[in-house]
Amino acid sequence: MSAVVDFPLKPEARPYLEAFSRGASLRDRQEPAWLGGYRKGSLARFAEIGFPSRRSESWRYIDLRPLQEHPLLPAHADEPAFGLEIRSLLGEIGLTAPAYRLALVDGRFAPGLSTLAGLPAGVWFGSMAAAIVERPDLVRARLEAPPSDNVRPFTALNGAFFADGFVLDIAAGVILDRPLEVVHLASGEASGSLHTRGLIAAGAGSRATVVESFAGAGEYWRNDVVELRLAEQAKLTRVVLVEEGPDAFHFGEMLANLAEASQISNFVLLLGGRTIRYDAGILAEGERSRCDLNGAFLLSARQEANILTTIDHAAPGSETREVFKGVATDRAHGAFQGRITVRPGAQKVDAQQLSQNLVLSPRAAIDTKPELEIFADDVKCSHGAAVGDLDEAALFYLRARGISNETARRMLIEAFITEAVELIDSPPLREHLLSRIARRLASLEE
Amino acid sequence: MMLDIKNLHARLTDGREILRGIALSVSAGEVHAIMGPNGSGKSTLAAVLAGRSGYEVTQGSVSYFGRDLLAMEADERAREGLFLAFQYPVEIPGVNNMYFLRTAINAQRRHRGEPELDAGQFLRVVRAKLKLLDIREDLLQRAVNVGFSGGEKKRNEVFQMAILEPRLAILDETDSGLDIDALKIVANGVNQQRAPDRSIVLITHYQRLLNYVEPDHVHVLQAGRIVQSGDKTLALELERRGYGAFEDAA
Repeated sequence: MSAVVDFPLKPEARPYLEAFSRGASLRDRQEPAWLGGYRKGSLARFAEIGFPSRRSESWRYIDLRPLQEHPLLPAHADEPAFGLEIRSLLGEIGLTAPAYRLALVDGRFAPGLSTLAGLPAGVWFGSMAAAIVERPDLVRARLEAPPSDNVRPFTALNGAFFADGFVLDIAAGVILDRPLEVVHLASGEASGSLHTRGLIAAGAGSRATVVESFAGAGEYWRNDVVELRLAEQAKLTRVVLVEEGPDAFHFGEMLANLAEASQISNFVLLLGGRTIRYDAGILAEGERSRCDLNGAFLLSARQEANILTTIDHAAPGSETREVFKGVATDRAHGAFQGRITVRPGAQKVDAQQLSQNLVLSPRAAIDTKPELEIFADDVKCSHGAAVGDLDEAALFYLRARGISNETARRMLIEAFITEAVELIDSPPLREHLLSRIARRLASLEE
Repeated sequence: MMLDIKNLHARLTDGREILRGIALSVSAGEVHAIMGPNGSGKSTLAAVLAGRSGYEVTQGSVSYFGRDLLAMEADERAREGLFLAFQYPVEIPGVNNMYFLRTAINAQRRHRGEPELDAGQFLRVVRAKLKLLDIREDLLQRAVNVGFSGGEKKRNEVFQMAILEPRLAILDETDSGLDIDALKIVANGVNQQRAPDRSIVLITHYQRLLNYVEPDHVHVLQAGRIVQSGDKTLALELERRGYGAFEDAA
């Protein structure tokens, strides 16, 4: 069967188009008509651009061929499975501190694993599929118009296929006392792609902490897109923890818009997955907005991870603090590409970027590429990048106290990443990530 | 014999020979001072004994309780009770001092077949020793040596020695850069740790420390060799006549 299309089509997009046509009748039954335009527009966009080529600067550090040659079409689990394995995954990766939890299994809301009772007034936190039906006022504005021309290929694919995800809407002035947690689990029951969409709207002056974690089993392609809008003086702390299964592809994207004097503090920790791509696009649209964009990756075996950040300072007095730390051993490959743009007229912008990396074996590699584009004359911008091995002097100091070489190395790697984790302003989240890092490091020694 | 060094020759990886036939025997309970001018090989001797990389032993032997010390990895030497107080203690950002010390002491205890100390037991051990070296407890919550003053770093070295209770401690210029009050604290810390089953090797440029820690033996190191050995009066003679007087012997 081949779909009839009236737009240009890249060959690798064809299986996805066919999958889209197969799902048409189900979508028509389940989804409101207003979403159709966005879906079709997104699909057309993906069909036109297809898989990015390695010649493109934003995709040169990641190998997409395995995915291109063996398409992982959208998986449609009818009923999400939550057997013992899913519960144990959740037990592993879930926060131990009290949290409002929304769990998704194979890309679909799993109410049985979620804890949403007791949300304070002024907060709507629920599944994307439910929001589309019950609260179109929260999502329609973002999902009605077709995507813009500069949408990234896999964001477009996500627009065509996302089955669920989450929506968090916080009214002005609301201060949440405990973290909101979104846990994405893949059961391994069906191999395919899992497209999820998140939407966070933080009202003026609100304060919240959000954790999004990813774990799973089997061969799957996670393609998650989250849009964030912070109103005036909103303050959001967000942690993203990627611990996908060893055969999984994980593509995550965040697109954030910062209004005047709003603050986002975002941390992404990449630990698990065969190929991981993390895109962060921040638009500092409001004056005096602040963006703390930090993260770390720890890679072994033949893992690949690529972090690409774009921070666009469109308003005067906006600030960025960006610290990314990378560790690669065995034959792993990591890459950090960080662009900071200061638009004309965005005076008094203060932006600092740091990329520090440890390469622990001769066949591992990390690329780092900072990029500043400054079109205003009264700004303070700096960047630094380093790639190196563990500090020999520190290693000897630890060993001279009787600590074995393996333990000393683990302590120094842990310390290196901990420095970035310390930038998270929530103690229970810091603890959670540090324990996940310790666990990951222990697995390296086995 | 605790430590027996015979005809030890060592060079840097760039080929420069620094140690040219060191001979030194240290018995249990003794304090030895090794004195010498800059460049005589004092710190190289400490580094080679502790197992730092970047040196190549070309001749000679070092026996430690009858075992070949040079065949042991640096961390194994430490677990066997050899301790080096660093001339330049290393700052290790991100590694908490307390966590570091507990990992170190438990590595030794495991090695000796003793049960590990839990956080509470460890804290009791630590508190008893903090006073000895006049170290503020909050330094323990910081990263190893990060933000420590020069004097605090040196005190921290002797504090670590007090915690780890080595059989052989080599103090590499622990007195350098200390004012007189800090020197007294460090010297007192060392004196408190003198014991019949513990030997101490003090490496120093100046006689000053030896006013407070009285050595049983003093050796003069010149151009990679011990050119003179004697009792504590040798240190005073050095102070009076300078290292130049011993040059001919080299």
